[in-house]
Amino acid sequence: MSLRLKYQTVLTQLAPAGAVGVSLALGAAAPAAASQAPVDTQPSATDKDKVSERLAAVRDAVTAIDQIRTDAAKAEGRLAWGNWGFGWGGGGGYGWPNWNNWHNWRNWGNWFRNW
Amino acid sequence: MPRIQLLVVQPTPFCNIDCRYCYLADRANKSVVARETLENLFTQVFASGWIDQELSVVWHAGEPLVLPIAFYRDALTMIDGLKPAGLPVKHSFQTNGTLIDDAWCDFIAEADIAVGVSIDGPQRLHDRNRITRSGRGTFDKTVAGIRRLKRHGVPFHVISVLTAESLAAPEEMFEFYLAEGIDHVCFNVEESEGEHRSESFAEIGIEDAYYDFLGEFWRLAAAHPGRIRFIREIDDAQRNIFRPREAGFFNQLATPFAITSMDWTGNIATFSPELLGLKNALYNNFVLGNVNRDRLTDLAGTPLLLRMKRDIDAGIEQCRARCEYFSVCGGGEPVNKLFENGSFASAETTYCRMTKMRATDLVLDRLERMAGFVDGTEATAAPERTAPMV
Repeated sequence: MSLRLKYQTVLTQLAPAGAVGVSLALGAAAPAAASQAPVDTQPSATDKDKVSERLAAVRDAVTAIDQIRTDAAKAEGRLAWGNWGFGWGGGGGYGWPNWNNWHNWRNWGNWFRNW
Repeated sequence: MPRIQLLVVQPTPFCNIDCRYCYLADRANKSVVARETLENLFTQVFASGWIDQELSVVWHAGEPLVLPIAFYRDALTMIDGLKPAGLPVKHSFQTNGTLIDDAWCDFIAEADIAVGVSIDGPQRLHDRNRITRSGRGTFDKTVAGIRRLKRHGVPFHVISVLTAESLAAPEEMFEFYLAEGIDHVCFNVEESEGEHRSESFAEIGIEDAYYDFLGEFWRLAAAHPGRIRFIREIDDAQRNIFRPREAGFFNQLATPFAITSMDWTGNIATFSPELLGLKNALYNNFVLGNVNRDRLTDLAGTPLLLRMKRDIDAGIEQCRARCEYFSVCGGGEPVNKLFENGSFASAETTYCRMTKMRATDLVLDRLERMAGFVDGTEATAAPERTAPMV
């Protein structure tokens, strides 16, 4: 299975729970006794896949999921589903840039959280 | 045309405490910005055409609350009178919390000011570094401030600076936040800036320690839904990873005037806000001009700005060419490149390895693990689904 398909499969299952649900699921997906496990024993795809390829595959998966949802919503004559992707609107409406905020501050704007 | 998204105002360089890792050399100076200087700043900012849909203003370093409430009441009224009709202006304080009393809580609530409190976790960790000039810990006063904010129902987040000691204590940090009702947390690392050289960065294995800390903290938060509602480093990493391929990346810290900083004298700087107040002969202490003397819009064409931009862009191109993580960071933070590598025109830093690369690794590794649960290659049972936070 391609990286994109693998990520699309898992993200399709997680996405209905929204950004919070995705974060909770990933947070809970820690190896047992995560704090004690040496980093080099933790699961990673880095041995076979470059980080840039993994990131690109995730984004392709996000785009594909988005498209499927948008098409389904159009076919059913309803609005596209709500935002699930950490501030990235469904249906291609990516109105906000991705910011590299200053770390001695926190942006309290509502553009990156939709819950 | 530049777009100002964040305006950082240093109304005084003075800080009432003296943290061991502080990079601000002028923090004993009790000077205060003049009303005319503030008026010049905001008049020029609003007339510049550089504001888009909203403006965020953060009152920052030294300690903004050493100035009286009357100062801010007057300043905010003035700013409100100067701003174009309909333009949202959101104010924030980043404070050490030691001076927060009931009157401050009332004012903060009344003026709808966002508050960030700097606290480094439980007392034994906080008081190692966040001390008074006489060397006493500031934990008790900071916690008292936080409890007052809670009593008054004023929302706030905390920024905690992680050191080698706190990186080894994620559960203790987590329990502390829970005990104090802190649900929005941001983690900074003790970094090398200005004259400060990070002891943490010199530790062997510090990057793996950061990965482990974040991973365990995230696991604990997921196991206690609704208690920690925001972990900036995790939320930011996920936002930067789980985005559509069409969405680009905007590096605010490398874009002229996206973040604009002014010190108490009216000096203007841009890029990383920490630059303003640091000494540097090559870049004229990073000062582009002064609002009492210069037109803000003229500063966009100064040779100094162009030189800084050229060097910062050269560093970004190095990152773009060689870094696997470029798409989640956009070329990093200029201040860290300068003070770790000696040049804006450089690439990887310890800061970015920790805060960008390892945080990205963590999210991707968790995604791999989830994918393993789904396709059956991960032997361990999938974690139980937790209830969504409300």
